[in-house]
Amino acid sequence: MEKQEEINSNPGADWENFRDDDIMLQHSAIRDEQAHKILFLGDKEPLSALAAEYQSGSSILLEKIKLLDEKYCAIRRTRGDGNCFFRSFMFSYLEHILETQDKAEIDRVKVNVEECRKTLQSLGYADFTFEDFFALFLEQLESVVQGADASISHDELVERSRDQSISDYVVMFFRFVTSGEIRKRSEFFEPFILGLTNATVDQFCKSSVEPMGEESDHVHITALSDALGVPVRVVYLDNSSCDTGGVSVNHHDFVPCSLSNDGSSGLEINPYITLLYRPGHYDILYPK
Amino acid sequence: MQASRARLFKEYKEVQREKTADPDITLVCDDTNIFKWTALIKGPSETPYDGGVFQLAFAVPEQYPLQPPQVRFLTKIFHPNVHFKTGEICLDILKNAWSPAWTLQSVCRAIIALMAHPEPDSPLNCDSGNLLRSGDVRGFNSMAKMYTRLAAMPKKG
Repeated sequence: MEKQEEINSNPGADWENFRDDDIMLQHSAIRDEQAHKILFLGDKEPLSALAAEYQSGSSILLEKIKLLDEKYCAIRRTRGDGNCFFRSFMFSYLEHILETQDKAEIDRVKVNVEECRKTLQSLGYADFTFEDFFALFLEQLESVVQGADASISHDELVERSRDQSISDYVVMFFRFVTSGEIRKRSEFFEPFILGLTNATVDQFCKSSVEPMGEESDHVHITALSDALGVPVRVVYLDNSSCDTGGVSVNHHDFVPCSLSNDGSSGLEINPYITLLYRPGHYDILYPK
Repeated sequence: MQASRARLFKEYKEVQREKTADPDITLVCDDTNIFKWTALIKGPSETPYDGGVFQLAFAVPEQYPLQPPQVRFLTKIFHPNVHFKTGEICLDILKNAWSPAWTLQSVCRAIIALMAHPEPDSPLNCDSGNLLRSGDVRGFNSMAKMYTRLAAMPKKG
């Protein structure tokens, strides 16, 4: 009751007319303010920058960062806006193509992208709702191939990944692809989704995959990795330790079903996308 | 800006093509501004809105379709999730659950579905929400029907 009076007596605010739209405006103002503090995609930083964050904190984390330092040389942060997994994936993948100029991989992923397009069509999505996002991703993919008029440098790739009108469209492309894959194989994904929420597959896709800013979980990573046929390594940095007192850094490889089922399971798969997961957030890791 | 314009133009063409597919919805784009649309939707049958025609106003932001359109009832309606004075609509897809997979047309369909299935637990119109929450369906229906007659039906004579 006291609180009520306090709000009502606030002279500067017109609560009678403070509507959802105003709340959304305020939200986007807060987001804009944050945007100036952390870019969509940061610069490459040494792991010591990560250690500095925990200097006065957990000794387990500091020990784990020391272990990370043996295998990884750098981290690239992404903004914690709920799209960090997709944005990390985007930059990591395009950077890999730019550095390797792997034409076979480009041809391979394009086939998968066309497959994703058909999936969405067969699920009843109208073409015009997703085609702009597909086109923009394919444009980025083409542009990292060197030697053409539209080719871009590494610096330009960083710049584009920080440009909202490109970056968010590519994130949205991944969200469409992820949602399509989950719906297409709903029987496979259903038990995982039930473990996360009480939602049906359809509700989950509508509320937790397709909207921008909804955070990603192992379900999203599995689906995107499967749909595009791109393996992803996630390295976990949290406060957990073993009973024996020893500290180790766990990782999990998301291996697309197309790679794990074709009899080549004897081959070791070495994902070229490595992400650092700290509870609630993904950044990019660079192996040595 | 360019992207939103291109997308809206595609939606405009789709609306022209599908004019007869959805007889309950008439979506019209402003003659001079593709970011302003109005819609006429028919009140769903077996609801107190049956027989009424309700006008909606769309204001589409420049970041569309990454951001949702703003939609309001221009026609007065008695419904738990519609603000009685401003016509503002409380619907998840117009707020945090929006995605570019939605279109202006499918938003209209979602609003018709909301008319048939109110969510009295998150009311913008508390009087209306309270009637439903206390189980007074008859009272709610008669109020909603009265406003449908007063505001959403063509005047006789």
